[in-house]
Amino acid sequence: MAVFTRTTKNLILKIDEFFDNIDLGLLVFREGVKAYLNKDMEAFNRHLQKIELLESNADKLQRSIENEMITHSILPQHQGEVSSLINVLDEIIDTIKATLNDFSIEMPEIPASLNHNFISITEASVCAGEELMPAARAYFKSPYSVREKLLKVYYFESETDKVSRNTTRIIFQEMKELDLSQKSHLRYIIQHIENISDNAQKAADLLSAMAIKIVM
Amino acid sequence: MILLFLTSGLFLGWSLGANDAANVFGSAVGSKMVSFRKAALIASVFVLLGAVIQGAGTSETLGKLGAVNALGGSFTVALAAAVTVYLMTKFGIPVSTTQSIVGAIIGWNLFTGNHTDSRILSQIISTWVSGPVIGSAFAILLYIILKAIKKYSSIHLVRFESFIRTGLIIVGAFGAYSLGANNIANVMGVFIPSFNLHEINLGILTLSSAQQLFMLGALAIAAGILTYSKKVMETVGNNIVELSSEAALVAVLSQALVLFIFSSTWLSSFFIRVGLPPIPMVPVSSSQVIIGCVIGIGIYKGARNINFRILGEIGIGWIVTPLLSGILAFISLFFVRNIFNIDVGRKAERITATDTHPALMTAPDQNISNIMQYLLLGLLITGITAILFYYFLERKKRTELKKSEEKFWKNIK
Repeated sequence: MAVFTRTTKNLILKIDEFFDNIDLGLLVFREGVKAYLNKDMEAFNRHLQKIELLESNADKLQRSIENEMITHSILPQHQGEVSSLINVLDEIIDTIKATLNDFSIEMPEIPASLNHNFISITEASVCAGEELMPAARAYFKSPYSVREKLLKVYYFESETDKVSRNTTRIIFQEMKELDLSQKSHLRYIIQHIENISDNAQKAADLLSAMAIKIVM
Repeated sequence: MILLFLTSGLFLGWSLGANDAANVFGSAVGSKMVSFRKAALIASVFVLLGAVIQGAGTSETLGKLGAVNALGGSFTVALAAAVTVYLMTKFGIPVSTTQSIVGAIIGWNLFTGNHTDSRILSQIISTWVSGPVIGSAFAILLYIILKAIKKYSSIHLVRFESFIRTGLIIVGAFGAYSLGANNIANVMGVFIPSFNLHEINLGILTLSSAQQLFMLGALAIAAGILTYSKKVMETVGNNIVELSSEAALVAVLSQALVLFIFSSTWLSSFFIRVGLPPIPMVPVSSSQVIIGCVIGIGIYKGARNINFRILGEIGIGWIVTPLLSGILAFISLFFVRNIFNIDVGRKAERITATDTHPALMTAPDQNISNIMQYLLLGLLITGITAILFYYFLERKKRTELKKSEEKFWKNIK
């Protein structure tokens, strides 16, 4: 019986650790982008290494959680949904890692006048992810409060869209000195940062449905 | 020959195990909260315990309705009940072995000219209605309590589900115990007045003739659970409305409580002691009680997704099942007596299960008593072997999984 074994406790710890990884990943991403914009490559590389570690750990935890749920038949009625949630959350940290790697490999040249815009996009996108995490944790402990916690995710996702649309407009319409290739490259990087909030919104949609099902 | 007469009762027991175990563990197995192997093992053990320890109360009531005083009669009555259960199941109507056996006993009463005690009959019929109603009341109350605990305790979902799983196992064991205690009368009750076995002294307890019969009946129920209930559990588990794990726990617990209440002599005496009317010791239909419990939960949730057709089918079952088994028993008794020349019983006024005239019983058979003793020994050995087998199988599964995980991460590195 699961109550009398360590299986339940282990699984709870693993789920919490997985969420911690995503939370930390979001923090490190924010600092990483700031370090890149400030041309502090040493700090940036340190953050990149940290993200790689967190992403690999999250992958291991994801597999382990799914395995334990299946083999010990834990949460049989919510297994598919919990797996999907963990998968979407893992996509967030995958996107974070991919974006920081893009910064590292492609070294986009971001004009100093756009630093503020890039920080704003990053802030809004990371905030969407950060607001998602309490809701994801609440699904397991107080599902009644999940939906109210998700409101901020949707707000920050739309903020990210607005700021990135505005920045893209500035890049293409006001910065005549930039080549088309450079403009396209900047737009590509913005889209990558935006993907974090898009994934957060995807997870929020899923969580919202999951919470209704569990409360009913 | 005596054992041959028991076959109809054993068949009835087998079909009860195959169908009614699903009421106890169906939701748990259907929702994959508990594996079938674990559920079947627990249900078999606890049905046996319930039947042997607490089966006497309901058997006495059935005996008062009609004490079938010849083995040929007991065989025919049980067969008529079993055939009725089979036919009703075939037509997809939620059938009760209780209603079937009651109808068959009344058929025997009519055939042999015995009087049917209308007070006992009305007591039995009233529980057919009150069983599901009490079950639904219990279910609503328990569901509200469980939901409140879940809402205000902030317990982690994984831990909560873990408690529910453990609860389902404990409640399932209690449900199986109550099923054995309450429904064994349907299987073996009609054989008690005409069956006489030597007592078996096991040192710590002595098994009376009736308890040995109950044990045989419970073994038939266990055989039904182990051989045929898997399919029923997996398909019938969520037949009425789709149940969440906590609703399943509440439904099974409410059903077990109702079955326990109607078979606990201790509780009945307690009621008398505190000045309340005694609880009738009557076998109730586990299928219909659980339907009552599930409908109770459905009503609490807003009654949008309840299959009300099932309610109608239960109503039909209340009338058609006893009628069909009564007619079938009457016709079969006629054939058994007049064509096969087998004694099916005689008019014996005021004979009850506890007050049987010795002349009506068969003489104790030493051979059967020996068989019973070997059966007990075999049962003990099989039980221990099954538990050990299950333990080692689970351990092997875990070790293999651990090895494959280690290998996977080693290859990744």
